[in-house]
Amino acid sequence: MIEFKNVRKTYRLKGVEKVIIENLTMKFPKGKNIGIVGHNGAGKSTLMRLIAGAELPDEGTIKRHVKVSWPLGFAGGFSGNMTGIENIRFVARMYGEDTERMIDFVEDFSELGASMRLPISTYSSGMRARLAFGVSMAIDFKYYLIDEVTAVGDARFKKKCDEVFQSKLEKSNIIMISHSDGTLKKLCNVGCLLHEGKLTMYDDLNEALAQHSSNQMA
Amino acid sequence: MDGVLVTQSRVLGALVLRETRVAFGNSQLGYFWAVFQPTLSTMVLVGIFAAIGRPPSIGTSFALFFGTGIFTFQYYNKLTSSLMTAVQQGKGLLTYPLVKETDLLLAKFIFVSMTYALIMMLFYGCLIVVGEGFFPKRLEEVILALAAIGLLGLGGGVTNAVLLRLWPTWKQVEAILSRPLFFLSGIFYIPSEFPPEIYRLLAWNPVLHGVEWVREGYYGYYDSIILDKTYLLSFALVLLLFGFSGERLYRKKVQ
Repeated sequence: MIEFKNVRKTYRLKGVEKVIIENLTMKFPKGKNIGIVGHNGAGKSTLMRLIAGAELPDEGTIKRHVKVSWPLGFAGGFSGNMTGIENIRFVARMYGEDTERMIDFVEDFSELGASMRLPISTYSSGMRARLAFGVSMAIDFKYYLIDEVTAVGDARFKKKCDEVFQSKLEKSNIIMISHSDGTLKKLCNVGCLLHEGKLTMYDDLNEALAQHSSNQMA
Repeated sequence: MDGVLVTQSRVLGALVLRETRVAFGNSQLGYFWAVFQPTLSTMVLVGIFAAIGRPPSIGTSFALFFGTGIFTFQYYNKLTSSLMTAVQQGKGLLTYPLVKETDLLLAKFIFVSMTYALIMMLFYGCLIVVGEGFFPKRLEEVILALAAIGLLGLGGGVTNAVLLRLWPTWKQVEAILSRPLFFLSGIFYIPSEFPPEIYRLLAWNPVLHGVEWVREGYYGYYDSIILDKTYLLSFALVLLLFGFSGERLYRKKVQ
């Protein structure tokens, strides 16, 4: 379970303060897949980093009683002059996973072949995404945090992602940001709307989507 | 879930190993260069000075005298400069919730310390082999001295990292401020070669105390006129307190 208590998060850039989240107290329901919607720049990705624990709130506390992944979707944690395999080893060591098992899994999933032995800086963005996705799927988390990841890759990769998602969803849950209603509807059942510093939970994803689109019109 | 300490040491271990890959990742021999390069470039310096025929201030080997100074100084210097940018460099790694800013700093500290331990062993080992040096007379004193310099470097480096975050120009300012340290840290001389009014001024520099401590331990018979271990350790402690409390205070300001 993930629990926010009186959380406030702001950003200050060149003297301008932007409130991302204002006094939020919320429990994310157990066993539900949650889709997060909101305008561009509303702070969805920041919310995701707060949930993950990659960023600290200005005020309040965030409790995670379960194993939560890092926000998945970009290869920010990979270093360019390390090879694919070296990057996998790094994550495996950090999370205390069996390195060889993890390399096998990612090799099989990402289909990068010989490129696994090349530095990441030589990869295309699609290849990076495949690696990043493979690495996070190799670890068993209770919650996977997904930030627009399904937007990358070709049809074949998307199909593979869907398959691995379906198998993961038997034991785990996802919290996902997406601008695609279709993706959200396929994977999520609960919706969260982030709007002007307020996060509202809707038991029905469709309600959140409807409210979001009426906000977009306004 | 594992205990905090277990996770922490796993993360640190992974980060340190990663450093050895990243440091010289593009070259075939990788980490070997990180150790070999500074050793070799200093040996060239030693060769030049030895050719000029400058007699050492202590003992008979100029190489040994110079080495005890320069590597102690370089260890300190490398810590303060690389810790300063450790958080900036590792920003991408902060995406992993397990990695905290202090982990990036500590991993860098361990990596630099490990590297300099190897460099010094390689250097002194070479000197012993070619007959220019001998095994440290009081090894435990040398190790304690280097540990004190390590703490000083850690404190200075973390303080630098905090200052850099608050004020990006600090990198340039620090480079200017720390430049004279090379000449003020007793690499080429010992303080007693100067008149009292000069060496009393030099004694303000904590790095000089580290160098003097290393030399006292290495030579056994050398007795420094300025060495004050309490001064060095208190200086280190103040920097550590300042650095880590600053880090804690400004941690939320991730850019």
